[in-house]
Amino acid sequence: MIRYDILICGIGGQGVISLGTSLKLAAIEDGLTVVGAEKRGGAQREGVVVSNVRYLGLEEGECFDDRNMAVSGLIPNASVDMMIAMEPLEALRHAAYLHEDSIVIINNFPLIPVAVRIGEYEDLDRDEIFSRVREFSKNVHIYNINEIAIGNFKSLRQVNTISLGLAFSLGNMPISEKSLIKTLKDQFSEFEINKLAFELGVRIAGKY
Amino acid sequence: MKPLSLNEPEKIILAMGNEAIVRGGLEAGIGYFSTYPGTPASEIGQGFIDLGDEFSYIHTEFSINELVATHGAMGASWANVRSMTAMKQVGMNVAAEAFHFSGYTGVGAGFVIVIGSDPGATSSTTEQDDRWYSLHTHLPVLEPATIQEAKDFTVKAFGLSEKYNIPVILNTPSKLCHNIGSLRLEKIPEIVSVDGNFKRNPVRYINLFGGAVKNHKNLLESIKVLQRDVQSLGFNRVIPGTDKIGFISSSINYLYLMEALSMLGLRESPVLKIGISYPINEEEILSFIKDLEKVYIVEDLEGFLEFQIKHLLYNSNLRVPIVGKSIFPEYGELDVDLISSILRDEFKIPPSERLKRILQLTGKLTKDIPPRQGAFCTGCPHRATLYSIVKATGRKAIFGGDIGCYTLACLPPFKSFDWVTCMNCGAGIGQGMFHANVTEDILAYVGDSTFFHSGIPNLINAIEQDVSLVLVILDNKWVSMTGHQPSPTTKTTLNGEKLKPVDLKGLLKSIGVSYVRTIKPFNIKSSIVTIKDALRERNGVRVIISEQECALQNEKRIIERHDGLEVYYQIDPERCQKCDECYVELGCPSIRKMTYDNTFDYYIEETTCLRCGSCHDICPNSAIGRVEIKRMGPRLETS
Repeated sequence: MIRYDILICGIGGQGVISLGTSLKLAAIEDGLTVVGAEKRGGAQREGVVVSNVRYLGLEEGECFDDRNMAVSGLIPNASVDMMIAMEPLEALRHAAYLHEDSIVIINNFPLIPVAVRIGEYEDLDRDEIFSRVREFSKNVHIYNINEIAIGNFKSLRQVNTISLGLAFSLGNMPISEKSLIKTLKDQFSEFEINKLAFELGVRIAGKY
Repeated sequence: MKPLSLNEPEKIILAMGNEAIVRGGLEAGIGYFSTYPGTPASEIGQGFIDLGDEFSYIHTEFSINELVATHGAMGASWANVRSMTAMKQVGMNVAAEAFHFSGYTGVGAGFVIVIGSDPGATSSTTEQDDRWYSLHTHLPVLEPATIQEAKDFTVKAFGLSEKYNIPVILNTPSKLCHNIGSLRLEKIPEIVSVDGNFKRNPVRYINLFGGAVKNHKNLLESIKVLQRDVQSLGFNRVIPGTDKIGFISSSINYLYLMEALSMLGLRESPVLKIGISYPINEEEILSFIKDLEKVYIVEDLEGFLEFQIKHLLYNSNLRVPIVGKSIFPEYGELDVDLISSILRDEFKIPPSERLKRILQLTGKLTKDIPPRQGAFCTGCPHRATLYSIVKATGRKAIFGGDIGCYTLACLPPFKSFDWVTCMNCGAGIGQGMFHANVTEDILAYVGDSTFFHSGIPNLINAIEQDVSLVLVILDNKWVSMTGHQPSPTTKTTLNGEKLKPVDLKGLLKSIGVSYVRTIKPFNIKSSIVTIKDALRERNGVRVIISEQECALQNEKRIIERHDGLEVYYQIDPERCQKCDECYVELGCPSIRKMTYDNTFDYYIEETTCLRCGSCHDICPNSAIGRVEIKRMGPRLETS
């Protein structure tokens, strides 16, 4: 059985769902079956957004089985293979889905919740967040992807494609680079710049 | 060509649950679709609109409310055109009268009703489980578990509807509506045009003079026939196992259950997967249960299957213990983790070391995470309106809330919403309070689309009963919360098509509202004055229309029109007194805090700011400057 679960989390407007769509389209291109529900109550409105990406496929010689192929839209606790957190606090908020071997990518660009802004809650220190996430998993990779995007492309629009490159490079995903690139071509009008951003992500992860 | 419209059988595409339902409609050859947008079902209407050019034979409409949508779909069905309507679960309350009749009248061509249910109430004010309606409407209920089934069941539902002469309900919870995954396509029939053909049938369609009794009897008889046939229809199936403890489940809970059983090592439990949860077939259920020692029923909310199955067992004299809502909660949404943890307790199975470690860590390290409450989008006109209302009233009024983006007014920083239940509850409940002689002023909110949905009778009633209240109509020209469907006040679509908007002021005048004022919400100072004036008036119904297009739509329009003028707002750190008026009281997400060693500055995040100017208008220290840059290029066209 091929099984691989990715959880993408962030807040409304960060492109969490479209990042999930890229990962799902690539899997279909590679002949895998894909499912995954979204939580998007707060899209565009400072709320938490989550995309579940779940790959499944049969290896040579395996045949369909009702029990193995029953994969719901939600990833269970302690079982993601990879988490892509577009914001530090969101990585910690969804840490129950991690286990010690999960690969975690965190965009080190905090967005302060309204509840903190108006003084109802205290903010958590960034280093404190990272050290807590590291207690859950031993593979935590932290980048300021916003800064990388601005530095290289003078725009935040490439944050997601850079993340995709990082994720592809760091996680041993059952999808091919070729399919991911084809997906970018189908999904975005500015293909060339997105391809460069993807490749940049792959390169940065390699250096890590 | 969009993936959803490819006519390539066996092709696998990526689709959302709601899109799979759209595809099902296409494959079934529907000619009519109507909806009132409501999350989680709202993308179904959008799907048909997006495919409008390729499938021009399908009439698609965003109807004014769910009852109108249902009547329209019934009409098309009676004229022998396959028709479909979609709504969120509470929409069925609005259309309930039509649904109760539709079993009496029967259908012409197939008629399918899609209900987006919302266990967990992630986008609703209730968890209401519409399956229970079928105990009195008798409309059959299909419950797909997967994206593939969402499409396949939709197609089959039309055949079912025609065979048994009854509308069929497809009940899809939000986690299926918004599940995105693989979908295998089948053929779309070639249809050039839809030609209606209404065959008069007074015996079924005119339920007068005792006709209702006869048709009630007909309805019960056709349901009995369907009930007898259920087993052969292919919606339900058994996943065999050798254990003596079995499970029954439906909808997405089937998948959660199967995953949970695998995780708990209970891979030999027999499972009956229910795809049609009303009516259920006695023989099928009994043959699954009869050799088992105990049966667990896993479903959301109050336990519709459990209720029916227990009833059936009583009649059959079979005494097998049935466990459902005694261990699974009757509220909230089930998921793999919740089902696993309940079954672990029930069967005394310890959690894996991996899970135990993570749950301990979660308990210890995630309790103090600040929540992310919703907030109005950057540039949202509602934020400016709410700010003005708070300033004008000093929060000293009774605030009647309503359903729409403006429900966020119940959260900080505004907190000026005293209730929100259902469509048009604001002025509706407000008028009762007036007659109960409350001493405070009553101010009710309503959005443009919500007002047209069911607010007009409400307002006429208030006029007739001489109620005193202020009604603020937040007219942002779109049904924004559900994804920007057009509203009756939409003037121009994003691609420039001119619509025929309803004359809101003319309408108000004609129903007898003599006090109508319009504010432009981003002119905060003058808005505050207008609201104070309306409150000072004290008597009669006073309507304030806050008119400004939804910022997200307006922004898309401006981007598409290559405007030649750019406006920026900047905070001058020298003048800024850090009084928090913009950062906390207005609470715009684009105003951010930059922290240095021991101090901080506020700044405006340029990439997200939509340049509404509210902060500029309210800054008591004139520290927020407006900068205009004129670019060479086409002239700015505003909507």
